[in-house]
Amino acid sequence: MADPFDAALDLLRRLPPSSTQNNLNGIISLRPDLEEDLLSSVDVSLTSRRCPKSGRDYLCCDYNRDGNSYRSPWSNEFEPPIEPDDAADLVPGGRVRRMEESLNSAVDVYRELYYEGGVSSAYLWALDEGFAGVVLFKKTASGAGKGGWDSIHVLEINEAATKRSAHYKLTSTVILDLGMSSSSVDNLDLAGNLTRQTQQDSSLSGFKDSDVEQGHVVNIGRMVEDMETRMRNLLQEVYFGKAKDVVGDLRSIQPLSEAERDKKAHREVISKMGR
Amino acid sequence: MASKQSTVASFVEAAPPGELSNVVADIKALAPNELQSLEPAFQKYNEDQYTTVKLPGSSDTVLISAYNSLGNGRYSDSASQTSFEVDHASQKASGSQEHPLDSANANLIRSLQKSFSTAAAEHFPSSTVGVFPADSDSSIALVLVAKKYSPQNFWNGRWRSTYTLIPSFDSMTGTIKVDVHYYEDGNVRMSTSKKVELSSGGGSADAVVREIAKVENKFQEELNRAFTTLAEGSFKGLRRQLPVTRQRVEWEKIGGYRLGQDIGGGRSK
Repeated sequence: MADPFDAALDLLRRLPPSSTQNNLNGIISLRPDLEEDLLSSVDVSLTSRRCPKSGRDYLCCDYNRDGNSYRSPWSNEFEPPIEPDDAADLVPGGRVRRMEESLNSAVDVYRELYYEGGVSSAYLWALDEGFAGVVLFKKTASGAGKGGWDSIHVLEINEAATKRSAHYKLTSTVILDLGMSSSSVDNLDLAGNLTRQTQQDSSLSGFKDSDVEQGHVVNIGRMVEDMETRMRNLLQEVYFGKAKDVVGDLRSIQPLSEAERDKKAHREVISKMGR
Repeated sequence: MASKQSTVASFVEAAPPGELSNVVADIKALAPNELQSLEPAFQKYNEDQYTTVKLPGSSDTVLISAYNSLGNGRYSDSASQTSFEVDHASQKASGSQEHPLDSANANLIRSLQKSFSTAAAEHFPSSTVGVFPADSDSSIALVLVAKKYSPQNFWNGRWRSTYTLIPSFDSMTGTIKVDVHYYEDGNVRMSTSKKVELSSGGGSADAVVREIAKVENKFQEELNRAFTTLAEGSFKGLRRQLPVTRQRVEWEKIGGYRLGQDIGGGRSK
């Protein structure tokens, strides 16, 4: 019998992606023992909250959550506040928090340049060796048609002992939801998510700690930008190109006997050219 | 909170084309005790999705729908004038018997079955059609299902057309539904549904299927246009391919970006 956790992930890859949250809840109701593992492995659309201290929006995920509280990357505080003992473990400080602040400022500019709106957040945490993080973006469609883009980039960074370079691992998921209702198509829903991974070694220049920290922000930013650009093109190909191709494989507007005649005529011309 | 039974039934209902057995295997791994409760869910799935079965003792395939349901798990086929039993879990037919076509419109149904089948082959590389009396014999249902499964390439698709013809009426109504699933390193689902109204072309079998082909061509052309609209409208509006500067971000200098000034291109002039 298949492993229940693998079966749950397989099921979520088959059921409609636009109802991932409901399907996840359904699977958890069948197997409550899988709840924690599933919640930390399955990507769902991001929700946002307003940070009371800074007045800015931030995105919520498992990495900035403690129970029902979420940590704002702007104020670095949990809302609603959590126990000081837990906060000591979960609220980053020192080097990690410096890099986190810098990363949030940088991706905020990136967000405005590419998304012209939306919300971004980045969260970092220390590992036994190196550090890890997540960079999030969310944009909701405005105007006619519904839609939303959510990207979730999970990173792991291991610094070389020399601190001249580091190894970056990136797993990125984009959740895309598009739809339209019109007189020509009553409704068309196109929803889904794609995940890609990459890793690379990048150099860190400078000798001061602040240079190394800035180096990480630059390397992470560039890697995220490269990945998002690749995925945007992939999504365009898959969502529109592939879906359209499959419909064309199901039914041909041109009568098939005509298409066959055209193909035959074409083949004859080609073979005549060969003589 | 939904019961376990209704939860697994909803999973079956939402299974993508060609992947019902995968969904059932997953349910078996998660909640094996609920499997035996799925019979009604399998029946509903097969009737909604126009599942096709091989006629016992023949190479012909027939589709299953609410229109040709006789109750007690038996279904009728207009072309061969037989009825047969269906095991919904395994999607297999057995026990075929003679079942003469009992309808005031029997002749029209038989010629529609022939014409629709021929016309469908002109546009669908592979499809199954069924023409049945409906609404207590006051109308005729024309049903078509076409499937393309390519699990080795991680995609599957299904097209369903349903038309209702009231003999001696000038117009017909129908619904076209297309469902596509692509799942290579992800999960992408496209579904569309359109209600259509079309002329019955005078009511002869050939005219009716001609009108059907016309409305399906129009639908498919508009669907292709809708893909383009989404790509160039909503999708672009979510995330640009490149910033307005037409250049990638200079991450070393990002601390110095001042939105409005730098992004407006003032720097490059």
